[in-house]
Amino acid sequence: MRSPFPVARRFRFSSRFPARCLRVGFVSILALGFAGTLQADDSMGGHGGSGEAHIQYRQAVMSGIGANMGAIASILKNGLSMPGHVAIHATMIADSAQLVAPAFKKKVVEGPTDAKAEIWADWEDFRKDIAKMEEAARNLAKAASGKDPAAVGPAVKALGKSCGGCHEEFRKPKEESYKNAAH
Amino acid sequence: MSRRVPEAEGRVVQERRALTLALPRRVHREIVFRIPIRFAWIVLLSMFPGSAMGGPEVRPPDVDRGRHVFFATGGCTCHSNYPEEGDAAPPLAGGRGLKTPFGVFYSTNITPDRETGIGDWSDADFIRAMREGLSPDGQHYFPVFPYPSFSGLSDRDLLDLRAYLGSLRAIRRENRPPDAPFPFSWRPTLIAWKWLNFEPLRFPDAPDRSEAWIRGRYLVNAAAHCGECHTPRTLTGGLDRSRWLAGSREGPEGELAPNITPDRKTGIGRWSIADLVWYLEMGIKPDGDDTQGLMAEVIEHGYSHLPKRDLEAIAIYLKSLPAIEHDLRRD
Repeated sequence: MRSPFPVARRFRFSSRFPARCLRVGFVSILALGFAGTLQADDSMGGHGGSGEAHIQYRQAVMSGIGANMGAIASILKNGLSMPGHVAIHATMIADSAQLVAPAFKKKVVEGPTDAKAEIWADWEDFRKDIAKMEEAARNLAKAASGKDPAAVGPAVKALGKSCGGCHEEFRKPKEESYKNAAH
Repeated sequence: MSRRVPEAEGRVVQERRALTLALPRRVHREIVFRIPIRFAWIVLLSMFPGSAMGGPEVRPPDVDRGRHVFFATGGCTCHSNYPEEGDAAPPLAGGRGLKTPFGVFYSTNITPDRETGIGDWSDADFIRAMREGLSPDGQHYFPVFPYPSFSGLSDRDLLDLRAYLGSLRAIRRENRPPDAPFPFSWRPTLIAWKWLNFEPLRFPDAPDRSEAWIRGRYLVNAAAHCGECHTPRTLTGGLDRSRWLAGSREGPEGELAPNITPDRKTGIGRWSIADLVWYLEMGIKPDGDDTQGLMAEVIEHGYSHLPKRDLEAIAIYLKSLPAIEHDLRRD
């Protein structure tokens, strides 16, 4: 009698799929996978260490800039006598500018980061803001090494403004960082 | 001195006469007539202010002083739509959406335009709006406009501020109604809100405090209205006075406003006076980081233009407040 249930039939893999089909299929799957990893700027960060390592490095670079800014502020607001230090800190900020774009090259927005996706969407504007920071920092270094102490204040203000100009567009406010998932 | 005067029926009556008649005639006239008349002149003239012997002079409003008051309020930045229109936003013409838990409220045009701004307001209208939250036609203002704080401003500051605003460019822009659900968009609801939450600000005497502290108290609470953003709100949208300046996750525009009481862990307890002054001038925190959002704007357009002694006053006052532990990240 014919069974109402489906009956397993013998299935020969090799007769269904000749060797050359298998080879083509295998190679194309490999190729697609490889192509996927080549889109390095569009990672899904957060899985594996790669994304978080980039977040860590770029935060280190930016913190370094912030530390130098804090040092300059500390000297000026407290009237500390540190001849030549403001110029050195300003130069360090200016020299850090070349590190920022490479540090942010890989797009990572998931994870404990305040970076906004606009960085990669408006990459050219991002580069311009970095250049503004470098210019302002070099101006401060020059003013701090110069003869006119009154030139330092406006130069510091301009440097501070360059921080804000970039952050406003490309960074979420620090106060909001508690909202980051993996904080 | 008295004189006996014989009366018709022989009764003698004591007639009272001026004592000074005993003195020489000249002195009598001086005392009885000339001195009282001069005194009456002094009293009369003192009732007219501005005259040579006038009382407290009501001086005309001072636009320069008004500019100073303007900076102390944060440059009225909420009235310029920088977030959407950038630096090209017509200054003080309103239209900026301020996000609150009750909906989005749009700031008004406070340029001197006569039709869409405040150009045709009287001085009394302006003072009433700032102190009582009432428009010239008697409508209540939504308290996203911080009149509970501005109620503490002095007459002189208010009139000088008005004079400064009146000196700026008139821009035509209609005011937008709020994007909020009923009843929060309905002005009569505010009668209940005011009854629950609004008490005009009064500063008690503080004889044992320095002038700088008193000035700081006035600036922080009235002009700079720090409490409006930096204090948590109650369910009805009033300010939680028990946690004054202890920070709020829901500041205007939905931004977190930090705890600015001198708590060492969760507030500004580790900040020195110099740190605070520098911050209000430059927008740079002690760790070298800048500040963003609405606070960056009120610094840029307002507080950074204040004289150092005012910033020091603010710092001195803030550091004197009770430290309140309030960790906003865990609220």
